[in-house]
Amino acid sequence: MFARVTSVALVGVDPRPVQVEVHVTNGGKSVFSIVGLPDTAVREAKERVRAAFRTTGTRFPAGRVVVNLSPADLPKAGSAYDLPIALGLLAAINAKQSGAADVVALGELGLDGTVRPVRGGFGAALVGRDLSRRVVLPTASAADACVLEGSDVVGVATLPEAVAGALGGGAPQTPAPASPPPAGPDIAEVRGQLAARRALEIAAAGGHHMLMSGPPGVGKTMLARCLPGLLPPLSAEAQLEVALAWAAAGLSRFGQAEPPFRSPHHSATGAALIGGGSGVPVPGEVTLAHRGVLFLDELGEFPAPLLAALRQPIEDGRVVVARKGSTVTYPSAIQLIAATNPCPCGFRDDPARSCLCSPGAVDRYRARLSGPLLDRFDLHVGLARVDHQLLAGPPGEPSTAVRARVVDARKRQTSRAALNCELSRVAMDAMAWTDGAATLLDRAVEVHRLSPRGWNRVRRVAVTIADLDASEAITADHVAESLGYRLA
Amino acid sequence: MTAPAHLLADVVAARAELGWRLQLAFAGLHPDSVRGLLEAHGAAGAVRRVTESGRHSARARQAAAVPAPQRVAQLAGVGIDVVFRGEPGYPPHLEELPDGPDLLFVRGRLPSTDPAVAVVGTRRCSAYGRNLAMAYGRAIAAAGWVLVSGLARGIDGAAHRGTVAAGGVGIGVLGCGLDIAYPREHKVLRDQLIDGGGAIVAEYPPGTPPEAWRFPPRNRIISGLARAVVVVEAAIKGGALITAAAALDQGTSVFATPGDIGRDSAAGTNRLIRDGAHPVLDPADLVAELELILGPARRSHSPQLKWDWAGISPAQLAVSRHIPVAAATSLLAQAEVAGELVRRGERYYPTGGEPAAGR
Repeated sequence: MFARVTSVALVGVDPRPVQVEVHVTNGGKSVFSIVGLPDTAVREAKERVRAAFRTTGTRFPAGRVVVNLSPADLPKAGSAYDLPIALGLLAAINAKQSGAADVVALGELGLDGTVRPVRGGFGAALVGRDLSRRVVLPTASAADACVLEGSDVVGVATLPEAVAGALGGGAPQTPAPASPPPAGPDIAEVRGQLAARRALEIAAAGGHHMLMSGPPGVGKTMLARCLPGLLPPLSAEAQLEVALAWAAAGLSRFGQAEPPFRSPHHSATGAALIGGGSGVPVPGEVTLAHRGVLFLDELGEFPAPLLAALRQPIEDGRVVVARKGSTVTYPSAIQLIAATNPCPCGFRDDPARSCLCSPGAVDRYRARLSGPLLDRFDLHVGLARVDHQLLAGPPGEPSTAVRARVVDARKRQTSRAALNCELSRVAMDAMAWTDGAATLLDRAVEVHRLSPRGWNRVRRVAVTIADLDASEAITADHVAESLGYRLA
Repeated sequence: MTAPAHLLADVVAARAELGWRLQLAFAGLHPDSVRGLLEAHGAAGAVRRVTESGRHSARARQAAAVPAPQRVAQLAGVGIDVVFRGEPGYPPHLEELPDGPDLLFVRGRLPSTDPAVAVVGTRRCSAYGRNLAMAYGRAIAAAGWVLVSGLARGIDGAAHRGTVAAGGVGIGVLGCGLDIAYPREHKVLRDQLIDGGGAIVAEYPPGTPPEAWRFPPRNRIISGLARAVVVVEAAIKGGALITAAAALDQGTSVFATPGDIGRDSAAGTNRLIRDGAHPVLDPADLVAELELILGPARRSHSPQLKWDWAGISPAQLAVSRHIPVAAATSLLAQAEVAGELVRRGERYYPTGGEPAAGR
């Protein structure tokens, strides 16, 4: 007697179908074994399934029960295979219920036969849709998963309900009433800070990483939070990528067009920021910020090894977490926004106040920021305290107006292969630089001693400024403004 | 011009008294003690007193006991020369001070005849003060005068940087041994001063660590070397006001830049002005005032007040000129490339340098 139920395992953030094969041989010694790289939690499914059978009034088959999780070389972890094992077992021993195996199932069983929520429901819905099968999930997980269009998800609370659901009964789960996505602040709420607002617009238009520095309390965090509202809405494909990344971390985010915004605290661990962790690897903040914004406040307070570890995800757009015998890859195409004080007390460059930091402390603070990570920031903008006249003044442009310009500028970039933040030297050489622009760049290289990399950064930002200006040619004015955002 | 280093051996060999004075200097005592000992016991007697009386630390006793020829060889090894009070090469202005140092250790070339101006101020300065000090340093160098300062962090260092940027001559007066890199971040600046035809000097022997009590006495050397002292930014308490007070004792003119009332780092300069120091405004004004004391400048400072010394941010420029902030950023960045402005934080400050093409 044999049955096969489909379930799901995550490879990175990608859900892969896993076949749960159940084989029951009558007679002989009573044996229950699970094979196919199960971890301890999976192996313990034996006891939960056996007890759930008993409490729900089903006789557990006497004889030899073998469960194989295939592909057998993919490690499986967690308690989510309880439900598919139980369904497979029921289908194998009862011909009337053999249809119960033709589903994608995920769920943990309680000893009393209840079905408990697990992570990965969204991935199961995706696999179910691809295989055109019904998806049986714990009620709580089903609510998150059924938002995927074209899927047939049924939420169940107990094992008998699961059997009924798998056999076609039960109403398909309807999405929980969608709460309006928590929108970030509107940039109209940021008073003053004209220069920083302009820089943020450029960052949004070209996808550039941006560093803000200024004394505490001038609105660096507020500005960063405005960025998702300035970015073009996510495409359906991008929304799915974000949903998968979040689902892998046990979070739900689907159907939101606004790019995600994550701001981990500087006390975050490497695993929390980059991904990994003990046991089953879990995606970190860089993956949760995939296709969106990662904001690092107080950049100088982050431990140096953590900042060094951020380089590869930022550069490659993906994180590779190495494990004994295997590696896991998570997506991390992020736009990095960072904020820092100019010194520990924050008043180093203040025109009116004296800095109270000891010079050694300033050196140490800056040394932590220096190095290859700083090289990633195309834009650097200083913020000053806002005077009260500006605070009381009329609000600036709303996010929607800025976003319209950003979307236009991005349209101009689609004809090129990459976003401006990824433009190569060769691609830029081929662009239309006016003579004035070329002369100014040459002078700047001399006066500011620009490194080749710094030179390319200035040019990249100049291209974005020209795009915002709807100008094919890149002029001296565009280059000059770009020089104003140079990392000094 | 001081005697070349290899001659120090001859000078000391010929005059035993100078040898004793050198030995005494290596004890690293407070300048007041050195003067008292020399007046009471003479050079040889003073050394004997230090090594034998038991009133001084073991380190001072041992240091004073090392014979002069050995010290001369040691100094030659690290490229440090010595000028003695009352001997050729000693700065004439210091000679006039009753409490002038008995000798000076010198690295570089000590310009003794050119008119010199001191620019001093607080170590904990604002971006505005730092920038103004740099512009003063430039203007003084361009006028052909020597700039004297303490090579400390903040105002002192900024003034020296201005001198170096304008290719001028500067003297840095240290409060520690000439071989001690203090402050560490000014190591390059010290070399630039020496390479630019200037010098670093100290009355303390090589190897003397920077100790707080050694700095107030060195301020009398700063003011003593200069014919005018400019205080850029200073609190009520601090070395800059000690230098100003020493200058007044020595009959040297004192200038001060006014600052906001109520700001700590401007309280000292404002009080100086109230007490009778000459207020000075931008670098051109400073040069004009100094010409009255030092004679005509080699090159007068063109008073182009195109930019505000208080510094300006792109947002301010945009608001005041009713232009988009993008255009304001572009304008300021172009002026920076032209060498007229320098960016610190979000603001741009005038460099005091002339708009230079292709520099």
